[in-house]
Amino acid sequence: MLSSLQQHAIAASRHYQVYTRPEKPCLYRKRRPGIVVRAVATENLEKSSKIVTSSTASFPILVNGCTGNMGRSVAESIISAGLTLVPVSFSGREKPGGKIKVGNVDVTIHGSEEKETVLSSVINQFTELIVVDYTVPDAVNANAEIYCKLGVPFVMGTTGGDREMLYETVKSSDVYAVISPQMGKPVVAFLAAMDIMAEQFPGAFSNYHLEVMESHQASKLDTSGTAKAVVSSFRKLGVSYDVRRIRKYRDPMKQLQMIGVPEEHLGSHAFHFYCLTSPDDSVSFEFQHNVCGHKMYAEGTVDAAIFLHKKVQDKADQKLYDMIDVLREGNMR
Amino acid sequence: MLTLSGSSSLLPRLNNRRSALSFALNKRNLVMRALTRDIIDISLDVAADSRKHSFPILVNGCTGKMGQAVVEAAVSAGLELVPVSFSSVDKPARTLEIGDIEIRVHGPSEREEVLSSVTEKYPDVVVVDYTVPNAVNANAELYCKFKVPFVMGTTGGDRQLLYKTVQDSNVYSVISPQMGKQVVAFLAAMEIMAEQFPGAFAGYKLEVMESHQATKLDTSGTAKAVIACFQKLGAIFDMNEIKMIRDPEEQINMVGVPKEHLAGHAYHVYNLTSPDDTVFFEFQHNVCGRSIYAEGSIDAAIFLHKKVQSKAEKKIYDMIDVLREGNMRFLGRNTLSSFLGILYFHMPSLSTDS
Repeated sequence: MLSSLQQHAIAASRHYQVYTRPEKPCLYRKRRPGIVVRAVATENLEKSSKIVTSSTASFPILVNGCTGNMGRSVAESIISAGLTLVPVSFSGREKPGGKIKVGNVDVTIHGSEEKETVLSSVINQFTELIVVDYTVPDAVNANAEIYCKLGVPFVMGTTGGDREMLYETVKSSDVYAVISPQMGKPVVAFLAAMDIMAEQFPGAFSNYHLEVMESHQASKLDTSGTAKAVVSSFRKLGVSYDVRRIRKYRDPMKQLQMIGVPEEHLGSHAFHFYCLTSPDDSVSFEFQHNVCGHKMYAEGTVDAAIFLHKKVQDKADQKLYDMIDVLREGNMR
Repeated sequence: MLTLSGSSSLLPRLNNRRSALSFALNKRNLVMRALTRDIIDISLDVAADSRKHSFPILVNGCTGKMGQAVVEAAVSAGLELVPVSFSSVDKPARTLEIGDIEIRVHGPSEREEVLSSVTEKYPDVVVVDYTVPNAVNANAELYCKFKVPFVMGTTGGDRQLLYKTVQDSNVYSVISPQMGKQVVAFLAAMEIMAEQFPGAFAGYKLEVMESHQATKLDTSGTAKAVIACFQKLGAIFDMNEIKMIRDPEEQINMVGVPKEHLAGHAYHVYNLTSPDDTVFFEFQHNVCGRSIYAEGSIDAAIFLHKKVQSKAEKKIYDMIDVLREGNMRFLGRNTLSSFLGILYFHMPSLSTDS
């Protein structure tokens, strides 16, 4: 006999199936395996089985933290990508039974005490489920434990919490996961390129002078971790610089007038500027990466979910991944 | 008790720095002064050491601008400049003055004789070649004949033949059309990014602008190489869309090239914008004059000398090899100012605007 919650989840999923259809033809639209196998009948068996796997790549995603800015943004990206958004989410603050609308999907919000039971029935209902987590630092470890207990693969987008414990929980439970504090793919690519350059060519920029400026929403109190990571690469390249010299801009007036942050993004942006100058001032290198809003992270998260789904389907040996792994896989869409 | 030692030329610069620092620092004044003296002692000791590791260097093409720049860079680096060079024209008893050095310039008919006696007198000499495309192959043959290691900075000539000549004679050499070490590093980083993370910038719009002296008629080869990387990363771009700026007015007003470098500069800027306009990346590399190439050539010469001394198996190298070796130079005055920069963290915080 199904519990009322389970019945509710099943009813919601049926309701959703009526509404959601991918808007544009894409790789992830569900195709019946038979058609694909016939189409590649002349290829060898190994190849055709791979193609069958990748063609059935539309899968359900549950976003834990749909009511938050990042969660909502990811949910929207999931719908635009033609994937299935599970119409269930959790919140530590909202009243249970509340609903929010994302695109044309009605998402039911459950309280955090119902998490385990509701998630358990969702997993039964939706095979190939991937969970995306954008909650709060305090909830990171507890959520990871639930996902690991239930054996559901997840993408951890939430920063903070006890990171060591997070990795331990995941490693000991053998669950598939993508964990990355930075979900912006191009930013991760840039950081990785700087790091690789520093490893390969130590001291290439010896004696160069460095200046770093960063601007974020006023509520971000700490200095950009991304900026610090780039600085550490430059130090390997032979530049003398202390992270305390990074110029932080948090005053909205200066951000508007001096830095050029669009007004609508003052509340959520990440602008970075680095300038390297040779000792005799004859050579300069400048790098800038400016992000407005949440879209870049949401898109990166969806890529991470697609990547993870593929790894689960392929029964990959490696279980724990980061954004570099997602990047190495190439273009996901 | 620490005492200030060293040449008097260092003192005036240091006094200005120190007076600025001591104004800002309060109780930690004395500690800072002692620390600064320590640093001066250390760096001067190491600078003295560096002269022991010096070796002779001959610059072929001292009469040219690149050649002159390399001579100056060699002297600043504490290397021993062989006061001999070559030219394409036979002129009687010609000397050239660069700084305090008198260089004897020899014509083509004396090349072999002079190079032979140079290698006898300076057995571990390294030649740096900045001549003209037409002379590349003949010069390479000359160096290979006398088994003298060389850095080929001159572009053009028959490159395949150049490599063949060097390979056949088993001579040590660094051959690179781009001697700007840091530009090579940047380009290599972009290539690595494109290879490791294809499609990371999928759908991004690319815009490229480059400015060079008006006499450079073709589009920047460096720009084309970087664009190829971005295309592999998924960016959308047509090579015809490169904006080439060659008008001096635009270069001064729009690009910001200093007037004195209009005749010799290489400015590049690349912009990447996401399809939804929320993400923007910009990369710039701007070079004025010849200093970067001269410094890079010296790094290549120091690297090559090291390889010769250690009897390395590999004989032909490029700028990537030089880069992989790490920092070639010893501590000097420029590093001193970097050390002083570290002291800034003791100053009251200037890092937050509000």
